[in-house]
Amino acid sequence: MFKKSLAIGFFMALSMFTRASAVEVPIVGNVAAKCVIVPDTAGVYGNPTPDKLSTATADGGVQPVVRFDVLQANYFKAVISTPTAFSVSPALTDVVNWTGSVSTSKVSVAGMSAYDTNKVVYNNTSEFNLTIAGTTWFKASSTAEYGSDKALPSGTYRAVINAECIAL
Amino acid sequence: MTNILPKVAGLQINGVIYSYTTVKKTEDNMLVHVQNKNALGPGYIFRSTDDWSKLPSNTIQRAVPVGNIFAENWGEGSIEIEGEGSVTNAFVAYSYQYDPCFDPQSSPVCPGYKIPVEFTVDVVNVTDPLDDELVRKEFERKSSQDDEDEREKARARASATAAERRQSRLEAALSAVNTALMTADATAAANDFFATAALPDNYQIQIPGGEYKETIRLSDAKLPDNPRGARNTWAQQLLHEQMVDLQYANLNPQE
Repeated sequence: MFKKSLAIGFFMALSMFTRASAVEVPIVGNVAAKCVIVPDTAGVYGNPTPDKLSTATADGGVQPVVRFDVLQANYFKAVISTPTAFSVSPALTDVVNWTGSVSTSKVSVAGMSAYDTNKVVYNNTSEFNLTIAGTTWFKASSTAEYGSDKALPSGTYRAVINAECIAL
Repeated sequence: MTNILPKVAGLQINGVIYSYTTVKKTEDNMLVHVQNKNALGPGYIFRSTDDWSKLPSNTIQRAVPVGNIFAENWGEGSIEIEGEGSVTNAFVAYSYQYDPCFDPQSSPVCPGYKIPVEFTVDVVNVTDPLDDELVRKEFERKSSQDDEDEREKARARASATAAERRQSRLEAALSAVNTALMTADATAAANDFFATAALPDNYQIQIPGGEYKETIRLSDAKLPDNPRGARNTWAQQLLHEQMVDLQYANLNPQE
């Protein structure tokens, strides 16, 4: 009885060693966005003077607002650029002088109020290091002055605010 | 909070959303507390603090989740400021939920709803026997009979009283006659009794009136104490004290 059992075990072991095989085990990972940009308020240009378009409230405009939701602190920075050209406009024969700025409009954590102090501005772009997890609303102002006190041609004008969330 | 939240049983608050704008100098220290008192105890049921110290003015908008807390726990809400600065455009909203079937009996569709049992009460027609014509007549007849009996009794009492008065006057007259007769008989009997000389002579002696002074004098100037009587008095006193102490001994047997 004992000898028979040994013989069966030997053949089973032999069959295992002689059958070579390979298996691929997949690994799947999903990365959810930790920085989300949501347009909050669309801007409107006011036309206080014939040669000027402005989003300032005093000029009859509405400042555009963009919201940044950051789930992890110190991993991202917000890069927001004010327009330097119209995406839609009548034919313009003269130069348009652009000015703009970006600042925090609302914050979900009081400490985010320091973003304005620490922001980096170059050309028409403002960069904010998102050092606190939470939500920050950024508002932009944009002004376009046409030529040298030259009246803008009538028509529809559109411009675009570019907002990016860049990983540090 | 009672005038803010709907009055629904089982309402729970699961979040507070607030927004305000600070007005301050950047270099100032400022703490802003958005809070609600605990309606059922001391302290606060909700308190969120924003530290604006050394920060520029800005607008904050926060959504603070809280564990589902029943509405009755939420007391008066306020925004408290510590330090320099102020708050404008304050807005506080409460996110809530409630179970419409918190009370299963609130709706027949709620699980656990029990169909109310309707109790039917049989109306028993109670007939007042006084409403019966025959009974009422019988009562009236009985009443009139009673009145008649009462009047008859009154008449009897009145006639009896008159008879008693007459009899009393007759007895008084007869009594006066008897007294006179008895006095004459007694006088005759007394004379007969004295005539037998059974009584001593001084029985009929007249004692003169006036003052009768003391004529007995004590010869001893001093009456000595009786030592035997003193011992007796002392023994009685001891016995009295023992009897008095007995009642206290019964009250406090340890002593």
